[in-house]
Parts: sequence; C-alpha cells; structure tokens
Amino acid sequence: MKISVNWLKNYIELDLSTSELIDSMESIGLMVESWEEKDDDLIVDLETYANRPDTLGHLGIARELSVKLDLPLKEQSWPISEIGIETSDLIDIHISDENLCPRYTGIIVKDIQIGPSPDWLRRRIKAIGLNPINNVVDVSNYVLFSTAQPIHTFDLAKLEGGEIIVREAFKGERLISLEGNDISLTPEMLVIADKKKPVALAGIIGGEETAVSDSTTDIFIESACFDPVSIRKTAKKIGVQTDASYRFERGADISFLPQAAMMTASLLAQFGGKTTKSLVDVFPNPKNEKSVVLRHHRIKELLGLDIEEEFITRTIAMLGFSIDQQQQKIWQIKVPSFRIDIEREADIIEEIARFYGYDKIPLTLPPLKELEPGMDQERVRINELRQMMLHSGYDEVVNFSFNDPAKEMVLKSGKVPIPIRNPISTVTSLLRTTLIGGLLENVAWNINRGADRVHIFEVGKTYFSQGDNTHEEQTLAFVTTGFVGFEHWQKKRKKADFFHLKGTCEALMSQLGYESFSFKTKEVGFFEEEQALLLHLKGEKVGCLGMIKREILDAYSIKRTVWAAELNLSNLFQKQHQTFHFSPIGRFPSVSRDVSFIVDQDVRYQDIKQTVEKLSIPFLESFYLQDRFMGSPVPKGKVSLSFRFIFRHPGKTLLAEEADSYQTQIINALKTGFHFLLREEE
Amino acid sequence: MKDLKSKIEQYRKEFEEAVSEVRDSAALQKLRNLYLSRKKGYVAGLMDQLKTLPNEAKRDAGQLINTFKDHIQAELQKLQDTFQKQKKYVKAVDLTLPGTKCYWGAPHPLRVFQEKMEDIFLRMGFSIEDGPEIETDYYNFEALNFPPHHPARDDWDTLYINDDLLLRTHTSPVQIRVMEKKKPPIRIIIPGKVFRKETPDPTHAPMFFQMEGLVVDLGITFADLKGTLDFFLKAMFHNKIKIRFRPSFFPFTEPSAEVDISCTVCNGKKDDCRVCGGTGWVEILGAGMVDPQVLKNVNIDPEKYSGFAFGMGIDRTAMFEYQIPDMRLFYENDLRFIREFSRK
Repeated sequence: MKISVNWLKNYIELDLSTSELIDSMESIGLMVESWEEKDDDLIVDLETYANRPDTLGHLGIARELSVKLDLPLKEQSWPISEIGIETSDLIDIHISDENLCPRYTGIIVKDIQIGPSPDWLRRRIKAIGLNPINNVVDVSNYVLFSTAQPIHTFDLAKLEGGEIIVREAFKGERLISLEGNDISLTPEMLVIADKKKPVALAGIIGGEETAVSDSTTDIFIESACFDPVSIRKTAKKIGVQTDASYRFERGADISFLPQAAMMTASLLAQFGGKTTKSLVDVFPNPKNEKSVVLRHHRIKELLGLDIEEEFITRTIAMLGFSIDQQQQKIWQIKVPSFRIDIEREADIIEEIARFYGYDKIPLTLPPLKELEPGMDQERVRINELRQMMLHSGYDEVVNFSFNDPAKEMVLKSGKVPIPIRNPISTVTSLLRTTLIGGLLENVAWNINRGADRVHIFEVGKTYFSQGDNTHEEQTLAFVTTGFVGFEHWQKKRKKADFFHLKGTCEALMSQLGYESFSFKTKEVGFFEEEQALLLHLKGEKVGCLGMIKREILDAYSIKRTVWAAELNLSNLFQKQHQTFHFSPIGRFPSVSRDVSFIVDQDVRYQDIKQTVEKLSIPFLESFYLQDRFMGSPVPKGKVSLSFRFIFRHPGKTLLAEEADSYQTQIINALKTGFHFLLREEE
Repeated sequence: MKDLKSKIEQYRKEFEEAVSEVRDSAALQKLRNLYLSRKKGYVAGLMDQLKTLPNEAKRDAGQLINTFKDHIQAELQKLQDTFQKQKKYVKAVDLTLPGTKCYWGAPHPLRVFQEKMEDIFLRMGFSIEDGPEIETDYYNFEALNFPPHHPARDDWDTLYINDDLLLRTHTSPVQIRVMEKKKPPIRIIIPGKVFRKETPDPTHAPMFFQMEGLVVDLGITFADLKGTLDFFLKAMFHNKIKIRFRPSFFPFTEPSAEVDISCTVCNGKKDDCRVCGGTGWVEILGAGMVDPQVLKNVNIDPEKYSGFAFGMGIDRTAMFEYQIPDMRLFYENDLRFIREFSRK
C-alpha cells in the first residue's frame, strides 16, 4: 500500500530523514517494500497484514508512528453547512440481516457541483498512484485512503422510492457494475437495493445506474460495514477485488462510520454542497468495547525481559487503548474498535514488545531437559540409502510431485492418480504415482543438452487413491543410460546395461540388511516384455526393475535405451532387516574348487544358486559365477558356466578329500536338477 | 664319486662363463632352466646320478651337489637383483598421466542445504519430524488459527484436492500433529515439501521446501527464540553476520517476527545489490511465540506452557547462500548444475 509522507503530515508532525523514517517504520513492523521521492513528497510502499485493517489508511500509519516517535496525533475537524432537512426525511434505511450488515450510516449532500477536484486533492490522489476523476470520486478515495473506511456515493435522484435496503439478492437479479460488467446475482450475495432493484454489491462495487455523474446534484453518502466472510465469498465468486472489498474482508471500524460519513460530507461541502441534518445511523446491536487483562509477570514470561510499568502504561495509552483499572501490576484494558486484531493478553504483549523494540530483547537459549533420538529409523535409512546411491555414481534429482495426465496414461503405473482441483496447468494437474516419469523428463532434458551419461536417482513421495482414501508412499527410483564413469586413458569406457542397474539394487538391498531378497520375472507396466524383474522380499513385492518400454521413451522423446528401477520404501522399511553381527574371520586356509558346466541356455542362474544353497553344505563359505560363455566350442543352445566354490572350516585346515566330497555333492545335485554336463565330460 | 666331482667342476666352470654373458632376464631364465629345471636341469641330473652311488658315498656326494646348487641359486639371484635395479631406471612410467577418477554421484543442492540446516539443529538437541503432504484444511489452516474464509489465507495460495483435502502450503501442520501426540517438552524441526498455487518464475515455484522449528516447554521466551536463531544463523552463514528481528504477522504466532540477516553479498555497501536491493538486509525467517489459541487447539495450557516457532524456505535460503539466480534451476535437474554440488 502506497503511503504519502506529506499526507501523513496532516496527522502527525514528521521531521525525519528518509532513512530515519524507514527505520522507525520497520522497527514496529511497517515493512517498506520500496520508496521513491516524487513531487516534493516521499512515497513509501508498505507491506500489509491481514490482521491490521486499521493500517490500511494514512491515519492508521500516523497512529503507529505517533506511538513509536512519541508525538501527538493532530486533531481533525470536519465543518459542515447544514440545511434544515433531516436525512431521514429523504431516505429510509432497512437492514434485513444485522449479522451481514451490523451498522449502516448515511448522509445527503445537496446542490453539489460535480467537477474536477482542487489541486491539493488531485495531488494526494496522484501521490498514491491513482488518477483523479472528479471531486466526488476523489473525495471518496481520499476518505478511504485517509481513514481506511470505504465510502460509497449514490446519485440520490436515481434511488427509487427514497429507500435503501441492505439485503441478500433475489434469484435472477442482475447488476451492471460501475465497471460495466453485468453481474448475475445469487441469493447469498449481499446487495444494497432501492425499492425496486439492487444498486450496489455491498462493500464491493457500486452499480452503474445510480453512480454519480456530471448531472448529479444530490448525493447519498454510504458509510457502512459488512460481514467480512460474506464480502470475501462474494468478491471471490465474481472474481473482483476492490479497495473497498479488500478492507471490508479484513474488518471495518464499526465506531468510525459516522465520522467517515461526516468527513465525506464536509469535503463535499467545499464544492458548494449542503448537508442534511443528523445523519441516519442504523445500528441494531451495539457491542461493548472489548476488554483485555494484562498481567505484568506474563510479559517477562513470554518475552524473557522485564519492561518498566511506566513504559507499559504510556504505550497502552498512546495506542488509543484506555485503562479501566490498574492494580498491582495488572491492567484492565479497553480496546478501541479500530483494533480488531487485539483480543487477548498475548496481543497486548506483542504491542508492548513492538514499541519497546525487538532489538532490546536479550538472547538466551532454551534449556535442554530431555534428549530424543533426533530422527526416526525411516529417515536414518533414507539418508544411508542416498549415500549408497551417490557412492554408486548416481546423481540426485528432485522433481515436482505433479504429473501430466497424458504421461500418466502412457506410464501405466497401475495406481489411481489423485487429481488437483485447481492446478496451475494441465501438465501439473495430477499427483505423480511413480517417480519414473520425472526421471525420464530429466533424461530427455540432459540428453538434449549433450549428456553422454545419465545415471540419476530421486527419493520422494508418490501418491495414489484407493477408494476414498489418499495414500503417500516414500519411494526411491533410479534410471541409467549411456556411459558409466569418466573416460580414462587406461581403460575402455563401459556402457550402462541391465546388470549395472541390477547390481545397484542388489548392493542396496544387502547394505540395508535385506539379504533374503529375490527377483521374479514378471511383466511390469513400465518395461519391455521379458525385460523386467520384480524385487521380492519375504514374499512381498518391494520394487521392480527393467528396460523402459519404447512407447514410453517415445512419449518423452528419448531415443536411447533406458533402464529403471523403483523401490517402495514405505513397504521395504516395514520389513525387519538383519541387524549387524560381527563374525570372526577364518583362521584356517580356504580350499577353492573351480567347476565348469555345459548347460541348456534357458537354465536360470537364480535356480542354480538356490539349488546350491538348499544343499546347506556346512563349510561352503561362498561361491560365485566366474565366467559365462556361449559359442564355439560350446554347442548351439548351450552355455558354459564356470563357478568357483570356496570351502573353509572354522576350526581346522580342510583336507582336499573333504573339499572333493562337497564338490561332488554339488555337481551331483546340479546334474540331476538341470542336466548339467561337466566341461571335461563333454 | 670321482666322476660326480669332476662333473660338478665342469658344470661350475661352464656356469661361470655363462653367467658372465647373461645380459637380460630372458637369458637369465634360460640359464636357470638349464641348471635348475626340476626334470631336465643339470642339478636334477646330478641328483639322479646320486641315486646310483653306494650308500656310504651318498652323504658326501649329496653335500657337494647341494653346495653347488646353493652357489648357482645365489649367483642367479644376484644377477636378478641387478637387473631389477636397472629396470627401475630404464622403464620409468610417465607419472604425470592422470590418475583413475572415481565417479561419485552429486547430491541435489536442496538436500545438501537441508542436511546442513538439520545438522545445526541436531547439535542443539532438536529432533526431526515430518507428516503427510496431502493435508486436511484443519491441520493446514484451522488448527493454526486461520479461520475459514480469512484473508490471511490469501498469503498461502492453496492447491486443493477437494473441499477438505489440500496439498500442505507449509510444514506448520506437522506442529499440530506433533503437539497432539506428545506433551512438552517439544523441540523439533520439520523439513519438508510444501506446495503453493504459484506459476514457476525466478523466485516462485508450485512446490518447494521449508524448514519449520518448534520448541514448547515451561518458561520458553522470545529471548530463547532470539538466542536459538542467532546461534543457528551464525552457524549457517557466518559468525559475523548481523541479525535483525522486526515485528510481523502470522496467524499462528503472537508476537510474530521476521528475521533479516545482513547481506553477505554486498555487506550493505551497494545501492543496486541484486540480492538485498540496497537495503543491506535479506529476509531469511518468519518466527514468533506460538499463539495461545494454537496451544489450546492441541490441549496444551497456554498459561502453563509457552513456545516458539520459526520457518524458512530451504530453496530461498540456498539461493542466497550459493548465489543461485533462478529457483527453477533446482527442479530442471540439469546435471551440469547438479554436478557442481558434487563437492558439497
């Protein structure tokens, strides 16, 4: 909100440099967003607060500064020239619902000459960035930006039946606004109506028909207040925000309405008008002023600082609050109606702190009385997992949690996405059900910018609905494509493939203590046929990995092959992981045996592995596939597999014969299970 | 026996000659094979001959052979050592060639920065908490003292799922969730993802990260808030920064404050500083004493307990710290950008 310093000087004697003024303002929370010197004036643009409608005018700002600078507010007087007619003789006011319109005041100015405003007024209006229109409009704006009370003026001659009715609109009623918009009114909208029709949308915008024009001579001035929620709902519904609605939404000063009306009348009187006698004031249910108790000890308890009683008493008074009673460091305070934000002791304490100066509050530290673990297991594990991914050479990304419905269709995650009712755009109108979509966007982005390798991961939530419920799942996904590692003169660069991805999965699972994981071949939505695995743990699916389908890659305009994996961490972390135990290192030498087999090409490694493990050979320490070979001299349709088996006894050196017998046991099991042929038998 | 003796003598002579002519490792190996090969070497031949001798002669003969064998081995070893020494000088590698580089993944800058913030609070005995990203209106607004239809909600432009569910606009609902579960003392930080209905531009995004802090206990004061943030901000940025608390408004704190730090880019010396706009101050945090109504909403007696809360944007603060000009860089995930943080 723009504030003119010259305008402020109507209310307060200011003699500060620009920087002194800005410092004073900011020290009490009036944040200066920008300022400029213009036409011998200083214009500051202030941040506004939703709870302080009283500061939405120059008077309110002057009042704040008067407390800060310990300067008195100047008294203002608004002389009028009255005629002998009572306002109520010319107009009747009815309020249909006092909750929606708690008070309505009005006064009439007759015989006014519509024309341009005098220079001083035009200057004020221009100073805050508005265009002067005519004396009546400029006066209403002047009153609004002086006192924060919105004023509306009607051409009295155009109000039919000498009546103002504040009521909810009837179904089917319409109003052409001042801006020329034809608004279709609905029954919950509060309107100002004359005997026949709505003439204004209460507190938001006036109607064109009853607006003041060049031919207007008599003016009805409205100074009223309305229910903030009703104003806000209507303004939102018709998509309009005016200076008036902005203030009424935040709350008006119900006591000030007559003064605002009189101020308007007095200013208009300067243009030759004459005011009717005694304004009309419909105020069905006046409320008492709010009363708040302030206890001195609470100030120290909340601020950590003792503030002298004298400062407190003085500040309260300067803020315009009155002290009802004061006894033994307890103040009973009456709050003026313009401070709608003050309701409780804490609110008063903030006022004291604000003017005392936040900078005078000391620095202390809250005592630590209890210690807690710092973070839960899930967070600990996610941190570990991120480090593992980084060590495996994957770069970390963070994507928006949204997805494009078109992409979601192509991805086919198998989950029901959650739509956003008011998205910023169509492409961000769903919540993502998988992280893979975002990662593919990143792959495309980086390839288009010349990346020859993209190995990236993301940890974040995926979202889906099930029946009426929404779910969030902590998820890890990673994708790999292109070269692995840096180029180096010593060795040839490898390219990523399925096993690069799978190796990362295996390493993660075993590092996290989930050694008993297994893979199952199964078709998965994202992946090419026969190019996908499910990751299982204790009989439950915890993830999937494979080669991304061509049609998905096409949707992201990626030409390369991309492998991806996704793990459901919420599921995974629910599983008990093996806790770490130290096992003594073997003190006796191991015996290793290398065995090569010729076997049908479609025999699966995982089956071989399980067969060997099932034998539970006591001193088989480990075994692994050393080599896999196809083509001559291995016959067509067959493959040669070379395993190394390592045996070790914890308490003695194994004899060659013992190792031999275990080896035979393994060979026999594989021969019967898979028709293995030893290389040398071939 | 005599035969054997003369044979050894002859071998020895031949050996001395041969050794003097060996110039490289290959010749050395050849000579080694000639004498020491297990099956066909001269020494093996001598051993075979030994077997034909009468038993009483075997001991002396054996000794002779062994001495001879030891001599050969020692001579060959000497020669080998010489070759090895020479090799070092002859075949030196160009050590200025680049070493093998290990490819470490780069963490996302927002995570790096978040962890840096978390670490400081963990040192101060704070615990880390989080909650759902899809929230109810109650937790996101009402419990935090935003009445329905209050204009204060305008500052938190919201993405809605339906009338009741929304994407949390701040991490503050987790304050409520934690206070409902746990009685004071509470000392937590809440880093997390939040959402706003904002079109991406250099300083806005529809999703970003925030970190919230909450301390509730007997006798917690505004001075404690100042002390805590003073420690945090100095640890985070620099021990010499200036910190300014100024009054502000948030529905869920009373009194409320905004916290600025002195601009570390221009040190308040540039009128057209891109970061502080010449004011010398950069807004970093919102904070305040927990509003008594918020405490009442979670059945904590505000007459007995008090608390403070604070919140800051992780993106915004990281942008300030690393001088990143555009918030969208965080979410484009250009690896040239991310890889810059491989050293963090």
